Amino acid sequence: MRYPTRLGRLSVPRRKVQLAAAAMLVATTMAACGQDGGAGASAPKAPATIPELTKDPLTLSFIWFDWPPAHALEAFANAEYAKERPNVTVKVKTVPNANWHDAMFTQFAAHKTDFDIPILDSQHIGEAVTNGNILDITDFVKKNIDVKAYNPYLLAAYGQFPQAETGKRDENASLYGLPLLGDTWTMIYRKDLIGDKPPQTWDEMISVAEKCQADNPGVSGLAFHQANGSDAAAVTYNTVNGVYGGNLWDSKTRKIEGVLNDAAGQEAMDVLVNKMKPLTAKGSGNWFIDEVNAAVAQGKACIAFNWIAASGGLLDPKQSTLGTTREQILDKLGFATLPSQKTNLVPLGGMGMHVSAYSSETNQAEALNFMKWFEQADIQKKWAAAGGVPSRTDALESPEFLNAQPFNKVYTDSVPRMRDMWNVPEYARLVDIENTNVNAALNGAKKPKDALDDIAKEQQGVLDSSGRKGGGGL
Amino acid sequence: MSDPVPLTTDHPVRVASATPPAPGRSRRLSDRWLAVAFISPALLLLLAMSVFPLLWALYLSFTDYSATRGGPAHFIWFGNYTAILASAQVHLRALTTLIYVVGAVSLQIVLGFTIAYLISRRTHGRGLLTTLFLVPMMLSPVVVGLFWRFMLDAQFGVINSMFGSLGLGQVEWLTRQRTALFSLIVVDTWQWTPFIMLIALAGLTAVPKYLYEAAAIDRASEWFRFRTITLPLVWPLLLIAVLFRAIEAFRLFDLVYILTSGGPGVSTETLSFHVYKVAFLGFNTGTASAYGILMVLVVIVLTQLYLRYLNKLKED
Repeated sequence: MRYPTRLGRLSVPRRKVQLAAAAMLVATTMAACGQDGGAGASAPKAPATIPELTKDPLTLSFIWFDWPPAHALEAFANAEYAKERPNVTVKVKTVPNANWHDAMFTQFAAHKTDFDIPILDSQHIGEAVTNGNILDITDFVKKNIDVKAYNPYLLAAYGQFPQAETGKRDENASLYGLPLLGDTWTMIYRKDLIGDKPPQTWDEMISVAEKCQADNPGVSGLAFHQANGSDAAAVTYNTVNGVYGGNLWDSKTRKIEGVLNDAAGQEAMDVLVNKMKPLTAKGSGNWFIDEVNAAVAQGKACIAFNWIAASGGLLDPKQSTLGTTREQILDKLGFATLPSQKTNLVPLGGMGMHVSAYSSETNQAEALNFMKWFEQADIQKKWAAAGGVPSRTDALESPEFLNAQPFNKVYTDSVPRMRDMWNVPEYARLVDIENTNVNAALNGAKKPKDALDDIAKEQQGVLDSSGRKGGGGL
Repeated sequence: MSDPVPLTTDHPVRVASATPPAPGRSRRLSDRWLAVAFISPALLLLLAMSVFPLLWALYLSFTDYSATRGGPAHFIWFGNYTAILASAQVHLRALTTLIYVVGAVSLQIVLGFTIAYLISRRTHGRGLLTTLFLVPMMLSPVVVGLFWRFMLDAQFGVINSMFGSLGLGQVEWLTRQRTALFSLIVVDTWQWTPFIMLIALAGLTAVPKYLYEAAAIDRASEWFRFRTITLPLVWPLLLIAVLFRAIEAFRLFDLVYILTSGGPGVSTETLSFHVYKVAFLGFNTGTASAYGILMVLVVIVLTQLYLRYLNKLKED
């Protein structure tokens, strides 16, 4: 019996098909390999003088995370920059906060970006510079920016690499960015519940919060960031660590173990977990910026800590139960610099703007022009009036800034007190280790001492693992 | 009317070549080349989007390559694999994933089959009920994660509000070690029980009615009929549903990302979530590739064992 054969069965030689498939795979592989040939990257240099700008229509794209300052920047830039460059449209692309780092660095990894100006957290600079993702603008800054107009540490924090020592700037170090938005934590307190005068020391703040919570059922003493996403819980611990005299690391010897978890560090962790956490609302272990703001706006917290740049919504009567007008809300809410204890350090927030190394030369020229324009004294004041937090000292002390929001003076007063985290290429992993462990301690998944020791050990492992063969990142 | 084209033939080549080309078609464009032309876009897409990335990931898994650091990839052979298999961090995530898979899939099987059994006994409104039950499955996991996150919020969530109305205390659903994993299992069960229900319902509908009629004549009890007719006939189909759900649950990422971000601490971090962190926080591409390949291998091996068991069950 003969078995029927299907009609039209292909008689194209199988070997040909296999060879074609193999050839395509090899070609694709070669193409993929070809992208990253060569040794480790380094940041390319931007020209000292801005090249000739295009007269054609151009879209200048930023990338940032989705929060009010991002929208304010787009509106401000399109209203003001257009007066100087009418052919330019500014687009601020936003991503969720938790995806911010990934959204930028996956594009950097592809050596192709759909943005011209990445807005990096100060701690991202090391990673971007080491990988050659952003331009070295040292020469451009020397020729176009009045560096004396800034507090040196602000200029260093948002642009310098290697990282500056706290409070200083190394004038010989290279610059890779310029300040876009300054920020720090403000203490938000209920004047109607604890009085007009804010607590001056951290210990006093805790006892005031404790009393307020006891006197006002349904209102928690404190509200602060505890989530394990982004840098939420890590910034909280780092703030308390700084206030109680601790250090995050010894940057010269790259030592974390034994530094972070020394006596001061342990005391800070004990204060955070055993004294502050019991004064927070139940289930607040995953709170970040929005949740803290919601607790304040709904009158559920006596004292709260949040980033200044994210505090504008607190004064919006539509979002608040504290009053039907801004004035009524301000009768109840006060804003103050953080209390001090053994030191008066406060966390450095905010971001700088940088130029993508993968943008076209036309867009890079436009980006440099925008940066030069943005850092002018009068533009910085306008940015302040539009809701931004400027960095030039004259703008910070200007009535435009100080009168724009009730918490702006807090920022101006906090500038000399700022301390940043680590600005190294391994930042993303260091902050994740700290976030998850502090979050574990705050939510009872780890004992405070164990959590701090684990942070120190794991972070040291990350810094020491550069020569490791295999398993990096675990 | 033309003669019907034969589907099979003893002389395929001759018949194929004897068929005259359609009017206007080049003589060189035979049926064979036409077939190649039609399937090659799909094949090329498959090669470019699936086969190449897999082989590329396999290659990277033997190197210390980092997508952002650039530079050449150095071969470290099995360095990534041994590091992953020996890592206490990975063991912890594997245990979490195992608890999650077993908890979620077991719960879904029990609930899905129960709902299907109850629906199959209804004569009226079965279609409407089935459609309503399928709604959660049609939603995006991100949307599901977000609204469950709001509902499970300890302070403002509707679940705790209902608990309050019943005089029960507040529960920290997403911020305590035990309740966070339990919450993930509940949310996944809410979304995917309909899938099990659908497959079970197909199996229940296919059970021949005469078996039940014969059992009724013999005055068999409801439980006896269920145990000896319904369950044995539906069981193989249910096991296939278990296989699909277990593979899906093993790869869980989205719900963890939205609901708990792996917290508190790392207590709800699954293997997939950990791979994501290794791949994108430090851009350790080589390690992440090896991690991904190992996960694929685990799924393949377990699936093979499972399918053998399933075949044996059918033979028995």
